[in-house]
Amino acid sequence: MRLGFFKRAAPAVDACELGRTVVALTLPAGSAPPSGCQAVVVGTDGRTRRLQAARRIEAREGETAYAFHPGPYTADLQPFETAPEIGLRTSFAIDAPDPQASQQRFDLYLSSEVTVRLELAALAAAIEAALRHELATGGLELPPCTTLDEWNAFRQGLNQLLYMRFGVTVDDCVPVDLGDTRDYARELGQRAQAAPEPAPVTEEARPAAAERFEPALEDAKALRRLFLELPCLMCGLRLAAMPAAQEQFHRQQALLQRLDLVSVGVNAMPALALAAPGQALPVDEQLRRARHSRRACVSLDEAWALLARLRQAGEAALAQLYGEAERIVANLEADCAGRRSVSSDEETP
Amino acid sequence: MTPDTVRCRCPLADGASLTVTATRRPRMNRADVKCSVPDDARLAGRMQQVLRLARLTEASFDSRDQVVLSIDRRPPEGERGWELAAVLADRMVRGLLRPDAALAANGWSDAWERGRVDGHTLGAMQAGDIVLGGPGGLPHLGLLSGHADPSAAVSSARAWFPLHSGVEGGMGWVEVSVHPLARGAGQDAVEEEQTIAAPDQDAARQLAVRQVLSGARHFDGRALGRWRSVVRFSAGEFAGRSWELALVMADRLARGRDFVPRGRLIASGCSSAWHAGRVDTVDGVNPKCALLLREAGPGDRILLPRAWQEQLPAGFAEQLRMQGASLACVERIGII
Repeated sequence: MRLGFFKRAAPAVDACELGRTVVALTLPAGSAPPSGCQAVVVGTDGRTRRLQAARRIEAREGETAYAFHPGPYTADLQPFETAPEIGLRTSFAIDAPDPQASQQRFDLYLSSEVTVRLELAALAAAIEAALRHELATGGLELPPCTTLDEWNAFRQGLNQLLYMRFGVTVDDCVPVDLGDTRDYARELGQRAQAAPEPAPVTEEARPAAAERFEPALEDAKALRRLFLELPCLMCGLRLAAMPAAQEQFHRQQALLQRLDLVSVGVNAMPALALAAPGQALPVDEQLRRARHSRRACVSLDEAWALLARLRQAGEAALAQLYGEAERIVANLEADCAGRRSVSSDEETP
Repeated sequence: MTPDTVRCRCPLADGASLTVTATRRPRMNRADVKCSVPDDARLAGRMQQVLRLARLTEASFDSRDQVVLSIDRRPPEGERGWELAAVLADRMVRGLLRPDAALAANGWSDAWERGRVDGHTLGAMQAGDIVLGGPGGLPHLGLLSGHADPSAAVSSARAWFPLHSGVEGGMGWVEVSVHPLARGAGQDAVEEEQTIAAPDQDAARQLAVRQVLSGARHFDGRALGRWRSVVRFSAGEFAGRSWELALVMADRLARGRDFVPRGRLIASGCSSAWHAGRVDTVDGVNPKCALLLREAGPGDRILLPRAWQEQLPAGFAEQLRMQGASLACVERIGII
């Protein structure tokens, strides 16, 4: 009989990219986290724990172990889709764990949105999408001829947004001219050449398998996010803004109650492919359900961004932010109801 | 607060016109969009589809509203010009556009989900204040607030400027469209001013446009010799030089070199040294500020010369902020 503790810790596979192009990576149980990395174990129920200074990763049956490198990482974000030659060079890191939080936000991000490995490019794309959405909806302001005050306000908002949404800390962020690497004129020229021939939509124009909308896959991912993140959101909402007046207290309570109901509804969501037990649902209705669950995830992203704004909002802005919260919760309710319904005609006219 | 009812007229090629009426009310678990066309349920279905597709280009969604749209009579067979009127009415009634943004519109599209407007059905007839879809008019829904189409091969951006006559003058706009400049391998570098055209303008204005743009592009450093540009102005007469800053900013937006405002960019300013990026002062502080207070909406960005900072009416900036717009008095263009 061989005892486990005589085994040498196996070196992690292709861990050398960690900290450069890869942010986090699953590790086989029993291996050692690469030097400079920390380890997070994600259970089947989404619960996470950090392994402090572990020599070897101990994971139980069904648990997944991730090693992540705290960084720092640098990415060029393009804040506006129609302005490709101006960017924000952002460097960020995954900070030391916040001792006050029961669960680190980055660990939640790993458990709810990451499968197998988190590439730096994927994380930067997600950050860029979150930034663009906030700029488009007015949560962050970055207007032309930005003044110093506006820039400082933007930076604070960005720091808070990225911490609340991804659990990363922004070290530095400066506007840069991306003209060295991107040529807008050439991009427009390529679009002009691509446009006149709409005929060959046959082979190459069709999106690759990975980009195609797979209802079952997307729906499962979205429901997992809702299941894991809604309780944390409610917790965040309780902590974020202390209601100042009785009326605000009632609004907050009402919001929490509605979120609670949504959360219960998500936990008891019917299977995507079934209209009733043993009765299959047509494919186009499955597609509709998957679209609803994906839209619910958009509301989830908006809710994290709103929490970030609540954290730094003054008394005066609270009323407007509560209005925004009511919109987001209403959208969540509508999409969860749509995900549950069997056909789109169920809505009363 | 936005009104609950909005009307948008749709003139037709035969001289008649349809009226699209949109109303908004709390949704109470009903469908998000309801459409009705007299004696034509199929067309009502098509209208609902058009609206849902066009809504995909909006940044945020509010499921608490129900919008009901109707057309006062059935459009002629094959007529599609009502599509743009319906889309604009749907946006106006939810406050995404100013309620007076489009009193009359005609346009159709095969790609509403990308915000593109392909054309209109009015033929050559152009009368009055009609928003016409398609090239030369409104090729993309975002252009209503000056934004470029992210999928088009030509990048067009608009900026607005308060007219000098102020009180009843209203706003004018300038649109810059840039095409990549095709240049053969052996060809010499072209003079920047030769690549800038301003059709429908007199010779003096054309010259001014060319000089301003080539000066500002010189300041940019990465703009010379890459673009072929077309500059268009809104209809109506105007004098003076205060449109220059709007032109320069529209050009920077079109070339993808500056941050994009959420709403419209409204600017007033000129310069004797655009090649240094400097912004000089212009006349008419008080009438223009009064006009800006009436016109500014959520997300609008207002740029004024630095010299105006001390002359602004009391509470001007706060009032703008209440309306959702932001103000900056600048002495140079570019970041900070």
